[in-house]
Amino acid sequence: MAQTSVEGRPDRYVGARLPRVEDARFLRGVGKFVDDIRLPGMLHAAFFRSPHAHARIVSIDVEQARALEGVVAVLTGADLADFPPFVAGLPRPEVKANERHVLPADRVRFVGEAVAVVAATSRYVAEDACALIDVEWEPLPVLTDPHASLAPGAPLLHEGSESNSFAHIEFEHGEVEKAFAEADRVFSKRFHHGRMHAAPLETRGIVAEHDPGSGGFTMWTSSQVPHLTRSLLAHMLGLTYENQFRVIAPDVGGGFGLKIHLFPEDAVVPYLARHTGRPVKWIEDRYESLAASTHAKEIVMDLELATTSDGKFLAFRGRYVGDAGAYAIYPWTPLVDSLVAAVLLPSLYDVPAVRFEVDAAYTNKCPTGAYRGVGWTSGQTAREVLIDEVARALELDPMELRLRNTIPSEPYVSATGCRYDGGSYAESQRKAMEVLGYDALRERQKSLREEGRYLGVGFSPFVEPGGWSGEMAKRMGFPFDYMDAARVTVEPDGTVTVTLGLHSHGQAHETTFAQVVADRLGVKVESVRILEGDTAVTAYGTGTWGSRSAVIGGGSIMRAADEVREKLVAIAAHAFEASPGDIEIYDGNATVKGSPDKSISVTMIAYTAYFGAFVGGTRPPGLDPALTATRSYEPPESYANGCIAAVVEVDVETGQVELQQVVVVDDCGIMLNPTVVEGQIAGATAQGIGGALYEDLAYDANGQFLAGNLLDYLYPTTMEIPAIEIHHIETPSTVTEGGIKGVGEGGTIAAPAAVVNAVADALSPFGVTIDRTPLSPDRVLSFIRAAEGR
Amino acid sequence: MIVDGAAAVRVTVNGEARQGLAEPRTLLVDFLRQELGLTGTHVGCEQGVCGACTVRVNGQLVRSCLMFAVQAERASIETVEGMARGAELHPIQQAFHEEHGLQCGFCTPGLLLTTAALLETDPDPSEAEIRLALSGNVCRCTGYVGVVAAVQAAARKLREGT
Repeated sequence: MAQTSVEGRPDRYVGARLPRVEDARFLRGVGKFVDDIRLPGMLHAAFFRSPHAHARIVSIDVEQARALEGVVAVLTGADLADFPPFVAGLPRPEVKANERHVLPADRVRFVGEAVAVVAATSRYVAEDACALIDVEWEPLPVLTDPHASLAPGAPLLHEGSESNSFAHIEFEHGEVEKAFAEADRVFSKRFHHGRMHAAPLETRGIVAEHDPGSGGFTMWTSSQVPHLTRSLLAHMLGLTYENQFRVIAPDVGGGFGLKIHLFPEDAVVPYLARHTGRPVKWIEDRYESLAASTHAKEIVMDLELATTSDGKFLAFRGRYVGDAGAYAIYPWTPLVDSLVAAVLLPSLYDVPAVRFEVDAAYTNKCPTGAYRGVGWTSGQTAREVLIDEVARALELDPMELRLRNTIPSEPYVSATGCRYDGGSYAESQRKAMEVLGYDALRERQKSLREEGRYLGVGFSPFVEPGGWSGEMAKRMGFPFDYMDAARVTVEPDGTVTVTLGLHSHGQAHETTFAQVVADRLGVKVESVRILEGDTAVTAYGTGTWGSRSAVIGGGSIMRAADEVREKLVAIAAHAFEASPGDIEIYDGNATVKGSPDKSISVTMIAYTAYFGAFVGGTRPPGLDPALTATRSYEPPESYANGCIAAVVEVDVETGQVELQQVVVVDDCGIMLNPTVVEGQIAGATAQGIGGALYEDLAYDANGQFLAGNLLDYLYPTTMEIPAIEIHHIETPSTVTEGGIKGVGEGGTIAAPAAVVNAVADALSPFGVTIDRTPLSPDRVLSFIRAAEGR
Repeated sequence: MIVDGAAAVRVTVNGEARQGLAEPRTLLVDFLRQELGLTGTHVGCEQGVCGACTVRVNGQLVRSCLMFAVQAERASIETVEGMARGAELHPIQQAFHEEHGLQCGFCTPGLLLTTAALLETDPDPSEAEIRLALSGNVCRCTGYVGVVAAVQAAARKLREGT
């Protein structure tokens, strides 16, 4: 590629801090979110939901609701008796597939489960009608603890199953028993990771319209996975042809993994649109979002680590019991938490032997699914808190212990088979220590302790699996492949349109992918348009999640753009009677190497392709003039890495944790746009901090949900999140197109462990051990009391 | 005037006289979005916690999910749609753009109006004052790093008249 300097633009767009293209509409308040869509004659839906954690539906009376003025339809499970259930499963022998009826007719299994739906002329009326629905319930025994669910004799939550576990999976590599038998020391720990919510600020929402002419549907949905939604729903809705179903994910107000699942409402709302013959809108309210979408990350973990007396890690054992909630979430299954947590057990430590056991246990709580960092967060927290405890027991500095066991920076295969593609595994830890002024901080900690103040520092070095495609999926235990394509088209005037089956809901694809294609084709970034989120318009793809889009979108764009570029080059070479190898394209102009007078704009090249001729040139004979290419990219496994450090002061009288400093050292390989990368890191880290200290989807022992609003489920605000200091190391991937690794989840994976370790460090004079999150003040006090009572 | 239980509500929005129908229970945010078609103001929680629905009523910051439309009769309301001057962004909007103060954009309208109110009363706030002023506006994407930087940059722009 030519490297010509043009004033007013970076030499290469990739790596430049270009401002975001998408800001213009959001800043003006003219973004188009699902709730902004209004169609003529549109009805509004509201769902009637279970107040019980587990109950039999004896009878449902909807007559009063139906009679209310403005109500057009009321449907219950009986009306949808023939509608197929969601069936969540995986093609592996350990898994027992699980059915979920979109409106259960006879039994509810968690508070908030939908049992009826109303369509009315306004949401206000629809909710009035819900209040008139009368259900006779017969409460059933409730399970809220995943270990209790697995205990012999526990009532079974799903008929026809032999246990309450969706899957029991075991794995072993290396001589685990021998390592534990011969180890100088064996350490163990149980850690119960808190139950979290992705909590995008825009809740889910759907507008569905049925076209009686074609029999098809158009559905606008706040989703990260429009194509997957189409593929999974079309046949359920009785369509013969998937392409009769158009799914549009317009502007989406955050997803964080929550919006990659299929929910009952996704099926019921289009069903209602066909049933009523009118478009139907449903916007999830905050209670529904918190109670009845997906929860995440609640896993009870028992870890063991065998070491030598000087702290060399010999083997890990882990038992991961995930709290799956009432149903296996569709389509990803609850194994996105407990299984992936286990696979990453050895993380970036050089340990030869690993054994794990995994369950996903049904309870009478909201189903659990993917949330940024998935189970890696929970596993990271348990492992890193254990490692700090090991360091204290061995009287070693925790970072000294980690660095003794950290893998080298070259590509490395872990005991669980993860193929790390090279990274700054130790360097990022040292960098975090250096930025923090670690030695001085330890001195300050010492002197503050003499004043009765408790400062603590915690570290959390991490690997972040990125670019989730077939290889990564299989590594993590999900035997699937994926098809994600980009279509790159040069239009007649030389502008460039790219469509992808990914979806941007904050990640700035319209900016970053334009950078990639502009570099690859040699055009101005301003001439590029990126289109996503409409199954009738874009190339197919499985959506944006799992730190996959930069790797997969970037790679597929590069491949498609290379094909199109060949044609641009061929036309220019033909015009100048030059060799294609001598054509350079930069900033929208093709030139012949060494002959600066021979120059033709991409606009004229495109014009020639579409219309046959420009002044002084013609199409090369035999050239297929379509300046378009669609290519997919399924990258090999790749892993970003980094280290998060946190400094806290704990008030031992009140249990209050003051988070004073957060440092993130991140290495995600080649960055498309460092500003966007930093936004991803900061946001992910803030969510991790929320999980460590504030966010808790609490249930009582009866399965009653206690966190149904944002005064109970505590999002961190500007007052809780300190300035987040971000440092980059850029180790290009050795295996992906362009050296790109994934970014977006590291903060959520690693920040909780950094914060928990900092609190444990602050309270180490009390001998405190921490075994759960979040660290609410009362819980911190209970840890101190427990330690003092020993 | 009451029609089918709905009253005519007259307001001035972003300097323009507007009217529409609202039931007594219609929330101001629903009136703005559904009756007047001003969908820039968003609904995040309907509980007055998240701040996405923040607008200004007679200059005061208001959670439009906690106020009835009829309470705004004859009031002057400012929403995000009124900030830019044609093609030109307001300096606060420009600062959010330059400092990566938004990602998904859902909380942004509320943050912009809260920032406007802050900088009118305090043109040179400290970081602590900025954080306090914004503490009622939740952003789930940014970790507030870009948001706080944007408010600082906006304050500079407004002070310097750029």
